Amino acid sequence: MKISYKWLKKFVDFDLNLQELVSVLNSIGIETVVVSAGSGWTNVVAAKVLTVQKHPQADKLSLCKVSDGSNDYSIVSAAKNIAVGQIVPLAKIGAVLPGNFKIKESKIRGIKSEGMICSEAELGLLEKSGGILVLNEIAKIGDALENVLGEADSILEIEITTNRGDCLSHLGVAREISAKLQKAVALPAIKIFNTADLQYVEIKSNLCSRYIGSVISGIKIGPSPKWISDALEKSGIRSINNVVDITNYVMIELGQPLHAFDITKLSSKRVIVRKAGDSEKITALNGIEYKLDSDMLIIADKEKPVAIAGVMGGEYSCIDEKTKTIFLESAIFDSASIRKTSKKLNLSSDSSYRFERGLGWDMSEFASWRAVNLLTEIAGGKLESRKDLKIVEYEQIRIALRIERVSKVLGYAVEESEIFSILKFLGIDVKYGNGRIFCNIPSWRNDIKEEVDLIEEIARIKGYDFIPSPKISHTQIYAQDNSFLPVVVKKFRVKLNSLGFSEALNYSFSEISELDKFGLKYFYKIMNPISKENEVLKPSLLPALYKNLLLNIDQGCEIAALFEYGKIFNELGERKTFALIMCGKVWREWWKWTEQKISPKYDFYFGGGIIRNILPDGEFKIDKNLNPRSYYHFGKNAAVLYRGRPIGQLGILNPSISDSVKDDVFYCEIDLEPLEDVYVEKKSVYKAYSKFPAVKRDISVTADKSLRFAEIENIIKNFIKSGSCLKEYSLFSVYSDETRLGGGKVGYSFRLSYKNNERTLTDEEVNKDMGALLKKLDDETGVKLRRQ
Amino acid sequence: MNDIEHIVNEVSEKIKNSDIAALEKIRTEYLGKNGVLTHILKSLHKYSIKEKKKIGSEANKAKTFIENEIEKRKENLKEALVNEKMQKEKLDYSQSFYFPFAKGSFHPVIETIETISSVFKSLGFFVAEGYEIENDWYNFEALNMPKSHPARDTQDTFYLEGMRNLLRTHTSPSQIHIMEKQKPPVRVIVPGRVYRNEASDSSHSSTFHQIEGLTVDENVTFTDLKAVLTEFVGRFFGSALKVRFRPSHFQFTEPSAEVDIQCFFCGGKGCRLCKNSGFIEILGCGMVHPNVLKAVNYDSEKYTGYAFGIGIERITMLKYEIDDIRLLYENDLRFLKQF
Repeated sequence: MKISYKWLKKFVDFDLNLQELVSVLNSIGIETVVVSAGSGWTNVVAAKVLTVQKHPQADKLSLCKVSDGSNDYSIVSAAKNIAVGQIVPLAKIGAVLPGNFKIKESKIRGIKSEGMICSEAELGLLEKSGGILVLNEIAKIGDALENVLGEADSILEIEITTNRGDCLSHLGVAREISAKLQKAVALPAIKIFNTADLQYVEIKSNLCSRYIGSVISGIKIGPSPKWISDALEKSGIRSINNVVDITNYVMIELGQPLHAFDITKLSSKRVIVRKAGDSEKITALNGIEYKLDSDMLIIADKEKPVAIAGVMGGEYSCIDEKTKTIFLESAIFDSASIRKTSKKLNLSSDSSYRFERGLGWDMSEFASWRAVNLLTEIAGGKLESRKDLKIVEYEQIRIALRIERVSKVLGYAVEESEIFSILKFLGIDVKYGNGRIFCNIPSWRNDIKEEVDLIEEIARIKGYDFIPSPKISHTQIYAQDNSFLPVVVKKFRVKLNSLGFSEALNYSFSEISELDKFGLKYFYKIMNPISKENEVLKPSLLPALYKNLLLNIDQGCEIAALFEYGKIFNELGERKTFALIMCGKVWREWWKWTEQKISPKYDFYFGGGIIRNILPDGEFKIDKNLNPRSYYHFGKNAAVLYRGRPIGQLGILNPSISDSVKDDVFYCEIDLEPLEDVYVEKKSVYKAYSKFPAVKRDISVTADKSLRFAEIENIIKNFIKSGSCLKEYSLFSVYSDETRLGGGKVGYSFRLSYKNNERTLTDEEVNKDMGALLKKLDDETGVKLRRQ
Repeated sequence: MNDIEHIVNEVSEKIKNSDIAALEKIRTEYLGKNGVLTHILKSLHKYSIKEKKKIGSEANKAKTFIENEIEKRKENLKEALVNEKMQKEKLDYSQSFYFPFAKGSFHPVIETIETISSVFKSLGFFVAEGYEIENDWYNFEALNMPKSHPARDTQDTFYLEGMRNLLRTHTSPSQIHIMEKQKPPVRVIVPGRVYRNEASDSSHSSTFHQIEGLTVDENVTFTDLKAVLTEFVGRFFGSALKVRFRPSHFQFTEPSAEVDIQCFFCGGKGCRLCKNSGFIEILGCGMVHPNVLKAVNYDSEKYTGYAFGIGIERITMLKYEIDDIRLLYENDLRFLKQF
């Protein structure tokens, strides 16, 4: 809401300049910025334009001669609206404009300029302006601009928290200033008339708690006086006619929305406050037709809705130039109902904004009289009749504040006398007694409901800065070092980071059509998504990570390796999950590696190797995938087991999914929920290592292709465990040339490492041991030593 | 006598310009079996006892001296040789060192969560977690936000189909879960994802992260809230910056405050980033509303507490000067690799 500095001053006589006022308002919880800063300039005077010529070097510039009565100045100006004879604001050399813009002598396209002719925007009077400001022709040349304009007003933009609807007016903000400065607020003087009772208002819903109707006749519709239209303009409201402007003026002055109907347009002169029928419609003042329903409160005449209560009037009953008699409404409607209606219709207004936040009981009456006064003074009206319908009895809120509770909450003891006076200046009726202050809360403060609300008021007005902030001298540390990231994820992150992976973060949503592509099902659908992207909660991290991969490949990235920690939402609920995706080159090429010019690409085995490397030792295993996801290549996937239980899968994506990528895409996803309390530190026990050199032997064997490599491996592992001097083995070659090996065969080459802790092994010992292994392999799996 | 001195001078001169082979020759020539000095020592018997002593000692000294000179020269020659070799092998380091893997990176949002968590951990807070799928009670009602309260308007909510659940709009529901599970004292932070059903632009995102903080105990006051958050701001942003507590409103805290820090861009003079106010808003906080304590059956007379909520993306963007929140969720490696 826009607030006028000068208008505030009419309510409370404060002695603060603009900046001081802004900081006071901010300090009591009203976020305030300056929209326009009044006379934020120095050394700007009224000057007369004597001559205007084209700038010889620039078509868009003019060369002007202006006079301030004692001197002539040559000025280069870009303004199109400049003309001989105008009185204009001249910022002389040394002038300072808003934004600390200093005017210096300058040369513009080769011509000297001895100052600047200003626009309203440059003077900070408006946010935007079309050209230079042309002053009234009776302005005295040489006078300071602030004197010519009359002291310009400053406009503030304030933001009010949702609980403080009472601050949505000049009076409301003035009350806050008054509380802070401990100065009284002066309300505008009103006259109260005795009139006939108005007969034709009927309230049929308890969503309206108070309704004041006034009939005013003899209205002459016309433009508003300047002080009203100016005031509205400063608050950003367009002037329409005197009657509508008065209702708006009173709203921004006092905070109470008002509505004026042309009474002659109401059928049978009935005003009925009721809920709408399900098939009723209304064309509102904005020209749009709205379909109403039985939850919505409306104002109707005998036949039809004439206004959506508290939200917007109907076009049908609006004030026009022929209007002579008006019906003025000042009411209190249920804030929740107005909010619902406004949301449902997607229609909000200055009025609904205020009703939603709740209005003061007393203010509806005061505002109605204020408007009647202005209508009689300005629009020639005469109050004919009036009725104040109170549907409920207003009950003032009474709270007993325990003084000791203030310091119990704040940790700082505010003096009793100070508490007393803060509350008093907030308009609270206070009485002291027995360690307590009995408070009668004024009707406009519907946010104050209990003791703690009063404590906030005391802290707020006293100033949060006054509450001390002791230096923390000791800290307590929890024994358990817990974190947002599960322990395993912390390990994964560090290891993957040094392998060149980047951490990604994706939204939790997915589109159904996107999931279909990966053969994924969703388990949580969003009821009210505002875009298709938010249709469902993602059941896997894959779709988003795959999209990330494509984005990076598209922009020319050759090495794409990403990981992500986040939640997925599947049949088991929300699950903490870790995933990684990789595609393309493993490493960057290097000029020095002549024999390794071309980097290998990520494939199934390398990807699996990375997973094996990042998994903590011990209870994790990569094994046969019994239930592979359909998004995997059915021949290139495996399962990650934890204590024998599958917790994740890894593999190459099904080529039909990754068809737009030429390389293999490796993806692994691990469910972290079963890993909540994994102990990831290595459970190692030191064993003395042999001080004698190892004997290395390379052997090549042939096996049937149908034999799983794991079976060969198991035999070797068991052989090592059985106490052989074979200690380590590694697979260094896989050979599949069937023309040389024989059909259906595959060749493996192992490097075997033999060691004894006490002595150096002899050739015979090693040969004997190797022979035993080969025999075992042959006996159990038919694997035979290959002879070249 | 003069002979020995003469010999020493002569040999010293020779050694200066000899290579390794020549040095060996010199050694043989002077110190060898038939060397000049050996010869002198062998012929000592020709002299008187007095002379014998003198010449003998002179000759032995000369022998040691020459020995040392030869060794010294040898060392110098070796060193020169190695230097020459290194000179030949000299590499231009600017031709780039090499590490085969690309540069890895951590996501700035996760890093911010970790950094903030570690500050609060050192202040005695326990890191807990919450659910992202919540219901109306935890997300709103228990937090003193009854149905049709306008405060709900500022938190456009995603509802899940077929059930009465929603995606949490803030991390505050975790306050309720934690207090339901334990008795005071409570001292936790809860980092996590939250959701708002709103169109995204450079400063709004349907998904973002918060860190919730909660302390409940006997005798917890607004003073403690100020102390802890001032300490946090000092450790995270630097203690040179001014901190400002400004009254605000949240349904679940009373009194409520927003915390601003002096703009670190302009030092408080006013700039584009702080909208000329000199301050930047960084978090919301307040004393736990008695209604919230009542909702979890805590004795609101006996216990008081404070709570706070920090927007992670906002702080991350400030810290790294990121001007569009969507960059954080695009996962373009050109962006990610910068962290």
